[in-house]
Formats: sequence, structure tokens, C-alpha cells
Amino acid sequence: MRYRALSDVRVVDLTHFIAGPYATKLLADMGADVIKVEPPFGEGGRKLGPHRADVEDRGGLFAFLNLNKRGVTINLKHQRGRELLAGLLDGADLLIENFVPGTLAALGLAPDELIAKFPRLSIVSISNFGQDGVERDGKLNDLVLFARGGWTFPVGEPDREPLTPPGSLAQYVAALYGAVAAMQALAARDLGLGHGQHIDVSILEATVATMIYETVTFQYTGIVRSRAGKRFAVGPFLIATLKCKDGYAGLHCVTDKQFEGLCDLMGRRELASDPRFNSALNRMLNNDALLEIVEAFFIGRERKWLYREGQRRAIPLVPIPRVTEVLEWEQTRARNYFETIDDPVLGRIRVPGTPLRLTSHRAEASRPAPRLGEHNREIFGDRLGLTDAEIDSLKKAGTI
Amino acid sequence: MKSIFDGKLRVLDISMGWAGPLVGQMFVEMGADVIKVEDTHHFDWWRGSLSMAPPEMQPIERAAVFNTANRGKRGVTLDLASARGIEILKRLIEVSDILVENFSPGVMDRLGLGYEAVSAINPRLIMISMPSFGSDGPECNARGYGNTVEAMAGVTGLTGYHDSDGQRYTLSNALGDPVGGLHGVFALMVALRERERTGLGQLIELAQVESLIPFVADAIVDFQFTGKVPAARGNRHREHAPHGIYRCAGDDNWIALACETDDQWRSLASALGLERQAGDKRFANESARKANEDALDAELSRAIAPLSADDCVARLRDAGVLVAPVNSAAAVMADPQIQSREYFVAIDRAVVGTHLYPGAVARLPDTPLRADAPAPLLGEHNRQVFAEILGMSDDDIAGLERIGVIGSTPRQHRVA
Repeated sequence: MRYRALSDVRVVDLTHFIAGPYATKLLADMGADVIKVEPPFGEGGRKLGPHRADVEDRGGLFAFLNLNKRGVTINLKHQRGRELLAGLLDGADLLIENFVPGTLAALGLAPDELIAKFPRLSIVSISNFGQDGVERDGKLNDLVLFARGGWTFPVGEPDREPLTPPGSLAQYVAALYGAVAAMQALAARDLGLGHGQHIDVSILEATVATMIYETVTFQYTGIVRSRAGKRFAVGPFLIATLKCKDGYAGLHCVTDKQFEGLCDLMGRRELASDPRFNSALNRMLNNDALLEIVEAFFIGRERKWLYREGQRRAIPLVPIPRVTEVLEWEQTRARNYFETIDDPVLGRIRVPGTPLRLTSHRAEASRPAPRLGEHNREIFGDRLGLTDAEIDSLKKAGTI
Repeated sequence: MKSIFDGKLRVLDISMGWAGPLVGQMFVEMGADVIKVEDTHHFDWWRGSLSMAPPEMQPIERAAVFNTANRGKRGVTLDLASARGIEILKRLIEVSDILVENFSPGVMDRLGLGYEAVSAINPRLIMISMPSFGSDGPECNARGYGNTVEAMAGVTGLTGYHDSDGQRYTLSNALGDPVGGLHGVFALMVALRERERTGLGQLIELAQVESLIPFVADAIVDFQFTGKVPAARGNRHREHAPHGIYRCAGDDNWIALACETDDQWRSLASALGLERQAGDKRFANESARKANEDALDAELSRAIAPLSADDCVARLRDAGVLVAPVNSAAAVMADPQIQSREYFVAIDRAVVGTHLYPGAVARLPDTPLRADAPAPLLGEHNRQVFAEILGMSDDDIAGLERIGVIGSTPRQHRVA
């Protein structure tokens, strides 16, 4: 889904894989004019899974992450290619990239020089470790990033190896910081600075930023949180993923009121005044005993029943759905959250819609992710004024 | 221009927990004047419980999470159950640019602070509502916090060991909260830009669960392509092996490592002295290693167990393998890269003293973000804010204190 709130913002998008493309997707969904610039062989993210059988060169994630963007190809190793890029940057507000630090400079496109040449341009660089620092050039993947950033250590069974979070969650977090930074650069420029700046976002720092529970809490308490199995942690609360009759349920019981509700739900109102559990502090000290009681109750109940009866008592208690159930959840259906896109290669797919609902605009249907070089003629012709013959010869030379 | 807003933007933050307060905190980073409004009865629940320590210990001023998510805000209290409290809040709304709330749907309307009411007071106001599951729809009244939002977004359903019986785990950071907050900041920046053009504010609705679902888009699309429910893979990878977490010498020390190519596997084997295993047919290429991953993991576990994590990480890094220690919070703060970029900032906060807090993530050289001011005590800035912004006299303020509309002493929740 797409709004038109940022229709006056021009973005040149040199990103690849996930962290960069999700940042530019956020801008594109808000109506920014995002031109995705790829090398003539395509960015690596085109091949990320999941794949439809027999389609290797366009994965499902690419089709989602690049909605609402137009796509051109440019070989930046060619002098003529860099001139084309400069043409796109002329009049652009943002250049967003997530190359290994130093890549732009090595191509003769050093950020500071670009900003000197195009003073209204801001450049957002998203990289694994940031643009400087002693380990700037290290390697990362999701497993290693989660581990290093502190997300993994406190998750899993105490007597087993720590358990990594699924997927590429932290890449998306970094993307958000990148998209916010892009808007910050525009605000600074337009509120008085008058010119653009080069912004540095480290994926590792974005990952660490979401761990305030840990980094600050341990300094206050001196206690390093360790794995607490099905519990989020052992604390003055019961936050846990508990087995029930037909799956798992997620319980978040923190306040006195929620605890009283939980006792009522279990038909054990006397527990609320039990000296083991009658205050947050006591619930922390006797957390194991509390867990045991609640577990024994949950195992005999169905998810739906727990959800209904828990919520009736204002307890944040939910069934734990599989992703397939998220797609069919009546709440997302009623809110028309998922959007059915008609991808030119992959066909009809239901994808998450934009989570931002502005009231100033009506949401429109998304434009599918571009095929490789799909908008070469349109962009190079209309925006840069190249003739068809010039475009053909660039193609022949491998520049586009 | 020292910061993006140089104090010229005012944000009224009446939210609690993490998602909403993070929005306000990130506007503090940009130089906005952010006023956090609490109620002496219903103070921000992230301050924790009064029962955690005796009153003289000021337990609700000792919550690390609250003290992080509310840095640099000015703190005031207002009894929102009283007509006088609502009236004062409306006067603050009149002179604010942004209003952040994350109550359950319907609460703002009941307080007389629905969008229609507040925009009538101040048409330039941008209001953001951040309910867990949306402000409409059949489940909109369900209660949700970071972890429950994470579950309903499908994340928890994917978080489990590869060989488990189905047990699922919640993430360590209540991810639904910061992700909701970050989307909220982004949306507000978009709306502010629009306001420059149109002169008008607007209502933004952000269902926190909807902001997290895109993070598992791959699993959602995978199911549509294959018809199979994606399994929890634990520390393993769809294609690559080895890809896991292995115990090192000492107490609860672990490393995470991954090989994405055969070359990386061979250099890992040589760095750990596993020449025999490197020549083993079962591990000769990626598909063989994937097929024999249990045996492979057993070999690696044996080889890594006697090594220190530092030694192991250094050897494997030199060998070009993807590797990192599995860092505890303390180790994260000692990470050489984190330290060399001075990511954490020291802040001296009343009651608790000086600690290191996570800094602003984006580095904007010409308008640096600042995250180095302390979180307010309950009602700390009542006098300052009500006098400076609303022109109240000392007598007015003392009168409000006397009738309990404002205050700085936490009180037990009223019994309904």
C-alpha cells in the first residue's frame, strides 16, 4: 500500500539485500520517488528465498522489499555509469546505500564530495559496524549479529546452548533507524541547516539499541540476566511462553491487577494474598513456584479459552500463532492489513501492508517491485534526456 | 543550528511502557522539548512497583528501563481522572506540535481527548495512537505488550530449537515495543514534513503488531509458495552448515559461527585442527554437511569445548569464518567496536547515580542527536513547565498540589 505524503522527495537507492531495501521501502510506501539502482547483473537480494518452484532469480522477499520503487541498472565501474548516477543525484534529496564502508569512495563517489557537488543531497550509509572503528570491516550474518549484539545470550534453556532469534529481525531494525535518519536529514536541511549531510548507521549499534533491558539493567542491579527457559526472565513478573492443550500461549503478567486477574482466571483467588505472591517482590522471590502453578493450569486449557478468559480480565494473554495463522487472523483481515500484490514474475502474493496509517491520504495499491532494469528507458529518457539510440549504446557497452 | 529542532518543537508524551516513550525519547535526541505527563496514581508502569522497596528508597525511580526510555524529557504529573487535570492537559495540547499516546482504544475518547477534540483545540497538532492490535477490528480491545505483540506478529511461533518438541520462546528484548516506537518516529517525521506544506496536523494510527509482521514477511511468503508452515530452525540455517552456537571453556561461554562456503569450512577445519574432518566425505560440500549436520555439530562441539571464547573467535576470524562471542549484556558493552565508536554515554541521574546508557544510533554530523540527559523524577518539572508554558503562578501550582491534581509523591492505584 502506498500513500503520497512524500511525493516531493527524491531518493536514489543503491541498497541491496534487506537492511537498505527495507529503509527505502518505508520511504517509497510514503510516496517518495525511489529509484533503485542496481548493477546490470542485479543486486544480491533478488535471489534471497523464499522461492517459488523453478524461479531462482527473483525471490519472494525481493518482491516485497522493493514494492513501490522504480528500477534502473548502472555499472558504476564505468565512467559513463557514474555520470548517469550523477544525473540522478542532481535534484535528489537522498542517496541511501548499504555497501561495505569505503565502497563509494573507491568508485570515485566519496560521500563528502557528492554532498559538496549536490549541497541539498543527504547520504544515509547503513553498514554492519558503522563507517569507522577498530573492527569496521568485519563480517556478519544474522546468527553472528544477534549473538554479538546481545539478543541471543538470554534466550533458551539454561542447560542448553543459547537460542538465536529467527530470520533477519535486526536488519529490519537497522532499516528503521536508517529511514528515520533520512527524514531527520531532510528536516535539518529544511529547518535551517540548508544543506545535506552524510549519516552513518551501524547495524550492530541498532541491534544493541533494542537491548536496553540488558545493558542498563545489569549496571543497576549487577545481575547479568541468563537464560530462563520458557520465561522471558526471572523477575517481579511472569512473562512466559506456556504449553497448553493445543499449542502454546504467551502470558505477560506484570502489574498487581494483572496478577489478581490471573488468580481469578485460575479459580485461585486466594493466591493473590498468599504470602509467597502478594507483592511484585515476592512474586520474583517465588517465581519458580508461581510458574509451576500457572503451567499446571495452562496445560489443561485450550489456547482460545485462555485468550478469551484472560483478555476478559484485562490480562495480556494471547495464543501463539504460526505465521499461517497470522495471515488468517480475523483482526488483520478486518483491517485489510495484508495486501495482495500481482508480481509480474511470481504472480499473486499476500504481503504485509504498511503499518503507518495516515489520515491525510488515502492508501493506494502498491506498484510491483521492478524487474531488472525495467525503468531504464523511462528514467534515462525522461529524466536525463537520453535518446533511444544513446540508451541502446549504453546497453551494448554494458553500462546499463 | 545545534540540533534539528533546537527546542522549537514541543512533544507531549502521555504514553507508558516502551513503544510510546521511545518516540518521545527519539524526539529529545533531535532537540525537541518533550514533556512526559504521568499521573501520581497511574504513573508509567515501566517505573515498576512501589512494593519493590520501602518508600524512602524511591523504588519507582530505580527502574533502568524507565530511566532509559524517558531520557531528557521534562516530567510533569496530572490527575487525568479530574476535570481540572484534563483542562490543564488541553492547555498543553494547545501549544504542542505532537501528542503521543498508547492507551487501549477508546481511552482517549473517554477522556475527551479523541482526535476530533484535540484537533479542534489545535489544528496543527499531529497525534499518534499506538494501540497494540489496532483501534478497530474485532480484537482491538485485546491487551498486548511487547512480548504479546511479538507473539501475534508470528515471531514467537518461529523461535525454537531445531530439535525441540514444539516449545517456543519469547525474544529477549520485547521486540514489538522498540519496533512500534521506531515506526512511530518515522510516521511523525513524515507528518511533520507534510505539515510544513499544508499547515495541518493529522491523526496517525499505528497498530504495533502490524509494524512487526513485515519482519517475518519471508516466512509468510514462504508458506504461500510451498504450502508448508515454516519450521523453527533454531540456530541452524536453511542451506548452510555449520551454522550454530557452541560451548567454550569456562562458565556459560559460547560462540556463534557460520560457514557459507566450502572454503570457509576448510579454513575453519584447519584453524581448529580438524584435518581429518576436513577430508571426511560426510562434510565435503554444503549439501553433505547439511545432511550430516548432527555429526558435524558433534565434531565441532568437541573441538571447541576446551578453547576459550576469545581464542576461538580470534582463530576463526583470522580464518575468514563468520564468528562472534555470544555476548551477555556486560560483554556487549565491552565489545571493541562498540567501545571504539563510543556508543554508550554516561549520564548522572538523581537517586541512581551515573551509568552508561545506549546512545543515539544514527550519526548526523551537522545536527548530532543527543541522548545524554537524565530521565525525570515523577513530577520533577511541574513547577518549571506549568509556570513557563502555561504562565501559572506559584500559588496556582501550590493550589493544584493541595487538591492532588499534580504532585511528586507516587500513590497507590485508586480502587475502582
